[in-house]
Amino acid sequence: MQYELKTRQVCLFLIALMPLTKLFLMPSVLAEHANEDMWISALINCALDFVTLICIIRLCRLANTNVFGIIESAFGKVGAKIFFGLYAVYFLLKAVIPLNEQKDFVVYTLYTLMPILMYFLPFFALSFYFCTKNLRAVGRAADVLWFITLTAFAIIIPLSIANIDPAAILPIGANGVVKITSGSYSVLTWFGDAAYFLFFAGEFKYSKGDGKKIILSYLLSAAILILFLLIFYAAFTSIASRQRFALTEISKYTTVINSIGRFDYLGIFMILFSNLFSLTMPMFITSKILNYIFGFSKKWISPLIAVGTQALLMVAFYRFIFGIENFIMQYCGLIFIIFGNVIPIAVSLLYKKEKVYESAQS
Amino acid sequence: MRMKLAEKLNDNLSKLKKVLSSDDVTFLDMKVGDTSAVLIFINDLVNKDTLGELVLKPAATVKGKPDFKELFGVFNSPEKKELSTQKDTLEEILSGSAVMIIDSFSTAISFGLKHFEKRAITEPPTSTVIKGPREGFVESLPVNVSLMRRKLKSPDLIFKNLTVGRVSRTPVSICYIRGIADEKLVEKLQKKLDSIDIDAVLDSSYISKFLGEHDISVFKQIGNTEKPDILAAKILEGRVAIFVDGSPIALTVPYILLEDFQSASDYYNSSYSATVARIIRLLSVILALLLPAFFVSSELFHLQLIPLSFLLTIVNSIKGIPLSPSYEMFFTLLIFEILNEASVRMPKYVGMVVSIVGGLVLGETAVNAGIISAPTLMIIALSGICLYTVPELEQTFSVIRILFLIIGGSFGGYGILIVLAMFFVHLITFENYHTPLLAPFSPLVKDDLKDAFYKGFLSEMQSRPESLRNKNKRRIRLMHDKKGD
Repeated sequence: MQYELKTRQVCLFLIALMPLTKLFLMPSVLAEHANEDMWISALINCALDFVTLICIIRLCRLANTNVFGIIESAFGKVGAKIFFGLYAVYFLLKAVIPLNEQKDFVVYTLYTLMPILMYFLPFFALSFYFCTKNLRAVGRAADVLWFITLTAFAIIIPLSIANIDPAAILPIGANGVVKITSGSYSVLTWFGDAAYFLFFAGEFKYSKGDGKKIILSYLLSAAILILFLLIFYAAFTSIASRQRFALTEISKYTTVINSIGRFDYLGIFMILFSNLFSLTMPMFITSKILNYIFGFSKKWISPLIAVGTQALLMVAFYRFIFGIENFIMQYCGLIFIIFGNVIPIAVSLLYKKEKVYESAQS
Repeated sequence: MRMKLAEKLNDNLSKLKKVLSSDDVTFLDMKVGDTSAVLIFINDLVNKDTLGELVLKPAATVKGKPDFKELFGVFNSPEKKELSTQKDTLEEILSGSAVMIIDSFSTAISFGLKHFEKRAITEPPTSTVIKGPREGFVESLPVNVSLMRRKLKSPDLIFKNLTVGRVSRTPVSICYIRGIADEKLVEKLQKKLDSIDIDAVLDSSYISKFLGEHDISVFKQIGNTEKPDILAAKILEGRVAIFVDGSPIALTVPYILLEDFQSASDYYNSSYSATVARIIRLLSVILALLLPAFFVSSELFHLQLIPLSFLLTIVNSIKGIPLSPSYEMFFTLLIFEILNEASVRMPKYVGMVVSIVGGLVLGETAVNAGIISAPTLMIIALSGICLYTVPELEQTFSVIRILFLIIGGSFGGYGILIVLAMFFVHLITFENYHTPLLAPFSPLVKDDLKDAFYKGFLSEMQSRPESLRNKNKRRIRLMHDKKGD
């Protein structure tokens, strides 16, 4: 069997790309709901993803084929096409908020005086180009991006940590279960990353001990995120919810900036670079799904549809995007849990190795 | 011309004279015993002293009508061979051998008496070193082969000879180490070279265009070097080299981007200084590529990135400059590229003048006249110098630098990031001869990182690079390894 990925690349993917989309708008949304307990809300979502990931690791251990083969052997070709069609819609929906926040970030932080979409739309050219590549490109990108991401955090976190009030995050749990869970629910769109791993199953050779490596990588990426959120709230305390883009705000009060300028932008640009790939992932998976469903002979058609649809959505709903964002955050949490966690867990736990093996032979 | 040689001398001669009608071809009538013969050679390609000593003198000693075997044994020339077809005869003559056609024999004798004028072995101007061997390849293939043989006295050092070019008939030689290089790669290269259909190969760069596996890429696909010590090190890592007669540059396959960041002197100096030098090269390339673009984008879009005191300096310096920051930078870069091009093409003594006039007079006057600002001039100068820390990639990166500058001036920092990401995607998916261009970083090959930007100690480099798909991984056997055996 030809494997597209290596276990190392899967681990590095987690470290390099998982925390990134959660560094822009999500911290302020969490702060709005759960205040100083925002990190607990994030921790709940991380735990949910962690459980999903553990289940998918079981699937990776047993899988003889990729997820398309697994679902096809269980539901037949038509059933599999419907199943993945729904997943394509899920990934398109999942990308809406991260893409829009990135657009806002680019517009408000980098081009305060410039016209808007023109500066963000070239991103879709990159997405299209990346989506024409196979899964191997994701692995190879992760091989380099982990270093860029960690270096960026190594710049931003020390710069931010000097201006925090650690007491601001205390007492722990003071906001009560309702606020904390409401925070968790409203940011579900940023989580559910374990769903990507459903599509990685069977694409790398699982050896003994790989599960531990993947789990440790996820824990590291979750720890980075939680640390970032803790620092963010400790830096801004009660006004944290008004800091729309946490990434640019978190380190701006450091005294170093007075003498050498916005040095933190070096780290911010590095995060932005890695995040380009993180944002492209939903479209990447969608394009693979479209290719599976329609079996296009030319490799550029499915990326064009996946990226084109997303770009059109961005342009078409440009004026209503705040309403759409609120709708997604308030009412679509269930969809994100179902597709991001429940289905991957179910597929992983219900999978039996022999069945697929027989199916593959037949 | 693929026909066999006839037994009658006149039949062979008439056909050859039709083809070899040039005035510099000599048909020397002679007698070998009682038999008539003709010695054919191109005047300026044959060493006439040796011809007299090794061919004409022995021929004069022959008596009667000897058979071919007897006759063949008479000549002392170490490079003699039998030729049976007209095509072979013609090729031997054109490549500088003297060929003797004898009446009543359908086999001719070729004498390898080539004598070409060649350049002395000197230090190549493109890769000078402070410490380490200074010899470089020359335009003569036999000399280059001898330089390699002197470096690697191994029976496993193999040369496979071919001829490429319909008109030029240029000798090309594939060089590799048996047991280390991948034989499939050698076969593939041989097939590719055989399939090249071109009228002339005047330099190895002609061949490299055919060996690349991707038609469109701004990046190099084939490595090259002018130094025997570098080439020896490369083929010891499992690469295959290609020599082309008439070119002092040997090509190497497969190529990875990292190899141009490695200098020969890294291996002759301490690991610490080599590591520092490599990191400086990497930083220099990043500066060279991105500094002009980021500076322009900061001036136009992201003023908040520039420290206040520096911002004031910039504001003062650009006051009254008629061009916008991006046009100003582009204009300065253009002048720099023109000066660069002119200084390479001009004779050395004029080149000095151009450097002074261009660099000092033009630059300073332009700043004083208020056409360009001092920071812009400084950034272009810095970027230009930085690019030459990796001279092998200078051409590639100078094209990319212009692209980044245009993008930075039009789309700002985010545009630069997107184009950078596109290059990144291109590089990580780019493979030549099954070797990723960005190895050992992507895919990550842990063992090869000890000779990447960190240069490990020699004792650490016990195995050959895994990225190159070579055989016989073990490179160094340490004392304690031997005891273990």
